[in-house]
Amino acid sequence: MQNSIPIINQVFEIQTKLNDLSETTPFERNLNRLFAIFEEEGYVVKNPIHEPYQESRTDCEASIVGNINSKMKITKVLKPIIYQKIGAQMQLVQKAIVIVE
Amino acid sequence: MKAVNFGIDLGTTNSLIAKYENNKVRVFKNPFGQKETLASVVAYRKDRILIGDKAREYLTKDAVNVFGGFKRKMGTDEKFYVVNIDDNVTPIALSTLILKELKNFVQSEEVPEACVITIPASFDSMQSNATLKAGKEAGFKDVFLLQEPIAASLAFFNTNDGETQKSEGYWLVYDLGGGTFDVALVKSTEGELKVLDHEGNNFLGGMNFDTAIVDQLIVPEIIRQTKIENFEDEFRVKYGKYEMLYYQIMYYAEEAKKELSQSPSTVIEFSADIDNTKHDFYINITKEQLDEIFQPIINETIVLLKKILDNNQLTAQDIHQIILVGGSTFIPQVRHELMEQTRIPVNFSIDPTNSIAIGAAYYAANKFYEPSVKVASEIETDKVIEDILSSIDLNPIDLSVDVSYNRSSRDAEEVLLIACSGGYENKYYRITRADGGFDTGLIPLKAKKTEFLPLISSHNNSFTLHVYDEHKTELKDFAKELSIAQGVYNIDGQPLPHDICIEVDDMENKTTKLEVIFERNSLLPQKRTLYREISKTITKGSPESIIINILEGDKNSRASSNLTIGCIEISGKDLQADLIKGSDIEIQLHLTDSRVLNTSVFLVMTQQEFKNVFSIAEKQVNIGRLKEQFIQLEIDLTETVRQFQYNEDDIWEIRASALLSELHEVKKALFKLKDNDKSDDKYVIAQKVLRISQDADKLGGNERIAMLIETYMTRKEEVFALISSADFIKDEMLSQYKKIEQSEPSFIKSKNVSVIENKLQQLHDLYWKAMSNTTSFLISIYIEYKNADAGEYKDYSAAKSIMRLADTALESEKYPEFRRHVYHLSSLLKRVRFNFNNDFKGTGIG
Repeated sequence: MQNSIPIINQVFEIQTKLNDLSETTPFERNLNRLFAIFEEEGYVVKNPIHEPYQESRTDCEASIVGNINSKMKITKVLKPIIYQKIGAQMQLVQKAIVIVE
Repeated sequence: MKAVNFGIDLGTTNSLIAKYENNKVRVFKNPFGQKETLASVVAYRKDRILIGDKAREYLTKDAVNVFGGFKRKMGTDEKFYVVNIDDNVTPIALSTLILKELKNFVQSEEVPEACVITIPASFDSMQSNATLKAGKEAGFKDVFLLQEPIAASLAFFNTNDGETQKSEGYWLVYDLGGGTFDVALVKSTEGELKVLDHEGNNFLGGMNFDTAIVDQLIVPEIIRQTKIENFEDEFRVKYGKYEMLYYQIMYYAEEAKKELSQSPSTVIEFSADIDNTKHDFYINITKEQLDEIFQPIINETIVLLKKILDNNQLTAQDIHQIILVGGSTFIPQVRHELMEQTRIPVNFSIDPTNSIAIGAAYYAANKFYEPSVKVASEIETDKVIEDILSSIDLNPIDLSVDVSYNRSSRDAEEVLLIACSGGYENKYYRITRADGGFDTGLIPLKAKKTEFLPLISSHNNSFTLHVYDEHKTELKDFAKELSIAQGVYNIDGQPLPHDICIEVDDMENKTTKLEVIFERNSLLPQKRTLYREISKTITKGSPESIIINILEGDKNSRASSNLTIGCIEISGKDLQADLIKGSDIEIQLHLTDSRVLNTSVFLVMTQQEFKNVFSIAEKQVNIGRLKEQFIQLEIDLTETVRQFQYNEDDIWEIRASALLSELHEVKKALFKLKDNDKSDDKYVIAQKVLRISQDADKLGGNERIAMLIETYMTRKEEVFALISSADFIKDEMLSQYKKIEQSEPSFIKSKNVSVIENKLQQLHDLYWKAMSNTTSFLISIYIEYKNADAGEYKDYSAAKSIMRLADTALESEKYPEFRRHVYHLSSLLKRVRFNFNNDFKGTGIG
């Protein structure tokens, strides 16, 4: 699939916006299906929201809000982490763009 | 002597490494994140040193320990005091770390021994010598320096062959990067390039454009909508209440800037909680607005450019072209204004982000150094010595690094214990994950250390532990590969003893096939959603149905050899509307720790959901499906008996016949069963069919498998030859052939008779398909049809008229038409020669 990564980012953004509107949306099933299709194409998408943040995480590009401390968490995800499956191996193809607090 | 070949752009904001090889230049990517650029930032965190993009994240938050822009201080006696290590570091030491990190981008066997490093045209001798020193300290045996505008020109002339012919004269190199601006006047005389003059501003670049968008377009809109008057003052306060919003908006501004390089307008939309009220912003930005706010920044660069021309008494007509370098020259208005205001042609044919590194690599191809090992024979001798040394484990460094960790895990991270003995002081370690998502940075080695390794779920995670000496140079002999399987297999957990499969239709071969849902040894619990299509139309209220058959056993065997652990039948009577062939079905399966199977089937077309829970203690049997499985098994067994007879293999023939007789014993009882039978008979019969099917797979032993594989290989060659000489649908048949060929490793490995037989049957079908698409065969079959008696046809007069049409088509060599008539004729025969239809019902899931 050409342009897969920009498409994945758009779908992710749609999902984020819908989730902001309400906890469950009638589009959940369709979105899950889309992510399943991306996975079949070899792209694994990961939303790191609420995960702890450490400096060793090279799967994210972070902007840090407030003071640096050891209990920082990812509080906003502007772009998700995307891995590509190459044979049995995974390769990071997009770092997440996140805000950490 | 050996060509240097490696070129490095040691930039103020970003650095790159490239190599000249086979007349081309390759720019290396960072193994972490796959970007070509490495942020020129070093962070001394409490317990580790970070280099690159990760370090940049801490730049504004931890300024006393994180350093960027140190290139500007090269050649000065300035030192940076690092709070965390209570020591001073020099700009040379920081540049050395960047250069060493760039060396890690080269993931080949070759370790760069010499390189060309670019420097700004403005660098004096002190600054140049400082760069040389950093290169040497980074472990380069020889270092050559090259001015950045020359590097950009070299990249330009080497990638624009036509231009080189008329390169004599003056050129301007306009370099607008992320945070700096430089413009240089370059003169080319008889192939020699020389920088005559340069101007620059160390605080002008891409960041200024982003800030302009935020300040002049976004912030006014926020104030207009929220009516918070002091918002602008609060917005910029470090650690202030809008800090999160600030980073978010800076990101959107950068994205909008990129978008508007290609489109006439874009929209920035975001939601934000401002003073406890949620606001939705929808800010439309046009290219015209952007042009207006960018104008003053661009003008500033053009003033410097014109200054150079004035200082050198040159006019626009004296300059060939302006060569654009630096990421910010992607902005269309930069290009437009340069052309408008200078009237000099602007050339943006080279990639502005990596052209300096590329130019450095071209230069490096013509620079030579004395390599450590000289000639091939010496390399070989060295290798022999190296091998001997490694075999006797003669390690000159007194250091031992041992690791201990769990090789499988169910957790999101796993702890790694590192134990060191010997001279570990002043040495460092670093752990990286192969996919690029984890990098600890450089951490001092201690006698005992623990490190938490984050794991990607359901995946085999590969890590490498690197060890570095006091100069941060890697000691490759100490590198260790670590592998941790997350959720794949765990001896503490409950692995699945067999594959769990779903039976789906194989319409091409009029049979069903198994598709694995959860692989053997997967760790429980397991959850998965399958997305499939309905393979037959089921009208509302009809007795037709779709069957979701979940089986446990071997994924490579036939369905009847597996145990049914869950079966859901959805008939037309359950439907609220017709279910059309091709519509979507979603099957969610959840196998719990205690092996209870929960299924949820959702029919997208009718928007109906069917939920079931199966305990594996209960047997599930669908009578219709069982009958089909029975018929398939009967056909297979009859063919097996026939084969043993043909091969005069009496012993196996007796066993196969016995199985066939056993099967026949239950035939009557099975076909007497109604679909809604409530008795236990179906379980008894199903169990017997299962056992016979499993026994049938073992008939003939390894000899039979070997024979089948041999037959398969021979038949494969025949089929390929036949397809190659076919006259119609060659591509379609070749693709089917390749599909079978691709599945070879798995089905041969399965050592399962029914699976190999199934593939043989597919080859057999393809053989006949190829035959019936070969004109010579069609002619021979047509002659046979023509000579058939009238009584052999269902409608002889219709057959006669088709024969006339076929004759005409044949005479005029219209073979596709001729083929159509032969097929038509075949369908009129009472005795079916090619059967393209049968009563296969299947599961209804494609």
